[in-house]
Amino acid sequence: MRKIIHIDADAFYASVEERDNPALKTQAIAVGGNPNGRGVVATCNYIARQYGVHSAMPSSVALRLCPQLVFIRPRFEAYREASLAMHKVFRQYTDLIEPLSLDEAYLDVSQCTEFHSSATLIAQAIQNDIKSTVDLSVSAGVAPNKFLAKIASDWNKPAGLFVITPDQVDSFVAALPVTKINGVGKVTAQKLKEMNIETCTDIRNYDSNKIIERFGKYGKRLLELANGFDDRPVVTERQRKSLSVETTFSSDISSLKELSPAFYKQFEQLSERVSKANPNLILGRYIKLKFNDFTQTTMDEAIHAGIEDWKSADSFINMIEKAWERKDLPIRLLGLGVRIGNNKNDKHQLDLFD
Amino acid sequence: MKFSISRDDILSPLQIISGVVERKQTMPVLSNILVVAEQGQVSLTGTNMEVELVCQLQGAEISAEGRTTIPARKLADICRSLPSEATVELSLEGDKAHLRAGKSHFKLATLPADQFPNTEDNPQDIEVRFSEGDFKAMLDATSFAMAQQDVRYYLNGMLLEIGNQYVKTVSTDGHRLALASVDTVQVLQDKLQVIVPRKGVQEFSRLLSDSDNEVAVFIGDNHIQSQIGNYKFTSKLIDGKFPEYDRVIPQGGDKIMIADRESLKAMFTRASILSHENIRGIQLHLTPGQVQVYANNPEHEQAEDSIDVMYDGPELQIAFNVGYLIDVLNTIKSDSVKMTLSNASSSALLESGDEDGCLYVVMPMRL
Repeated sequence: MRKIIHIDADAFYASVEERDNPALKTQAIAVGGNPNGRGVVATCNYIARQYGVHSAMPSSVALRLCPQLVFIRPRFEAYREASLAMHKVFRQYTDLIEPLSLDEAYLDVSQCTEFHSSATLIAQAIQNDIKSTVDLSVSAGVAPNKFLAKIASDWNKPAGLFVITPDQVDSFVAALPVTKINGVGKVTAQKLKEMNIETCTDIRNYDSNKIIERFGKYGKRLLELANGFDDRPVVTERQRKSLSVETTFSSDISSLKELSPAFYKQFEQLSERVSKANPNLILGRYIKLKFNDFTQTTMDEAIHAGIEDWKSADSFINMIEKAWERKDLPIRLLGLGVRIGNNKNDKHQLDLFD
Repeated sequence: MKFSISRDDILSPLQIISGVVERKQTMPVLSNILVVAEQGQVSLTGTNMEVELVCQLQGAEISAEGRTTIPARKLADICRSLPSEATVELSLEGDKAHLRAGKSHFKLATLPADQFPNTEDNPQDIEVRFSEGDFKAMLDATSFAMAQQDVRYYLNGMLLEIGNQYVKTVSTDGHRLALASVDTVQVLQDKLQVIVPRKGVQEFSRLLSDSDNEVAVFIGDNHIQSQIGNYKFTSKLIDGKFPEYDRVIPQGGDKIMIADRESLKAMFTRASILSHENIRGIQLHLTPGQVQVYANNPEHEQAEDSIDVMYDGPELQIAFNVGYLIDVLNTIKSDSVKMTLSNASSSALLESGDEDGCLYVVMPMRL
């Protein structure tokens, strides 16, 4: 069972503008094109939304609805920067990140052991971290799959956190209006309505052959979603830069000897994960220690890509030893990982002439 | 045009000349051999516009003078498949070349001789004389390291450097370099450097024997030419600046390993089997008295091997493309090989155990 978090920033562009110019916080603002031309609203803040302004609305219409609306030219550089800062927070918890846009991403936290592996607490921590480091508010949805996580993040906006646990999936989906399903737009909703289908329960009760007949391939997908089933993995867009396994211990560990059994178990888990990677792209190995005062330290070493085997328990233990010398404190978390290069690193041959 | 000749006397020249003629040609006439029967002599010429070979046939009897061009490969194939004792009669009748031998009769398409490209003759600027065997050894010791279709076009050939009382050949593909040098008696004020294209080097070497016969090489601005027995070899030169090879010959290596060449080569060959098939990296681990190799591939297969060597320096780990090392060990002929290293990111210098004037530089792979 996966643990997926869907993160969606609240009124992203508008929030960045408010953050950078707090005077805007009390006004209705819209980021987007010129209202005198044919521009459209990209995002508006919550004050503007009270007037019925929403994204993708022609700017001229928005201005008619809300005459005091302040239009702001988009500053994509600032949004990109905020997005990068958000991703930095995500990466503290997982490498499995699938960005959907600058302000929206799926995170697979199934392997994350922080907060006793509670995805809900991780989601909360991500919200807090983003608030404190990026000064933006995000909503999070937690669910066993991407389909439900995305619906969940939208459930309590803004700054919401909505969790659908595996046991709640069935009852949650049963009551779900079909219009909430990703891919069901006006046209499909109308067709479904003609078939007297308004909720997922209606789909479940309908003759599945008829649904497939009517909607083809998408009909099959509708049936799956109506049963809360979605097997799509979180796909990282970028090439993976590292593979790691982390363990937060149930009680703090204060000696290498005490750590040993957990280390070997974790080392095996890492081997399992790394076995799928191209060994010629493994450029280094690293360890991470989190002390019981919540500070952390890392150490890494390069390996001879494609030539030396990354898999050396001794090298990892060596690094743990050295890193532990930096602080005389018990540790609460151990991370073991390997760094992975992109295909460019595949060429290691050095040149005679430069 | 009409002449007759014994099958054996024409076969070998045909085979050598068709080596120059490339299979895929943009100009149809380039896949033909120019046959000239004039002034009591029959000559065959093949060219790829870069390298030209002309052979004066021995033992041909001309009954009518003339010239034409005939498809090279077909002509060579026909002659090869005739019985050894056959006599071949070749004549031009209309636009067909007729080849008769005993009861066999072949009619081959021809193209007019005036379509055949002319190479400029006698580019005599400088004349260098070698022992044929020495010169062949120099070409063969270095040709393997020439680049192939590199965008740095000047690497797709071999540097021939004629200096004061020495001649050097150098080739490099940017990752490894081979250099051979012999002493000459020639006194020269300024050294002369020319780059002979890959194909030229290969064909030149093929024509040379191991003998001590003297061979004269003429070097002009754009061409290099030599007469070897009945063959006249001409190659264009690559117009470019060869890299300063002196700069990349390592000087400061302090870690010297001496190994039995055959054992070292055999170990590399074994390890190469499980190296990555494209990258071909293997790691060497030098410890006193021993060199270990380690190779692995994406299928997680591994090879480990070691041999005893003469080495008393500090421990060193260094990685190489195993193909480059094997190439060198195939070229060196002596029983032992000397490898001089300094560190994991600096080039290795390989030399024959006998001081034969050749040296090889191989850049390592990144560690």
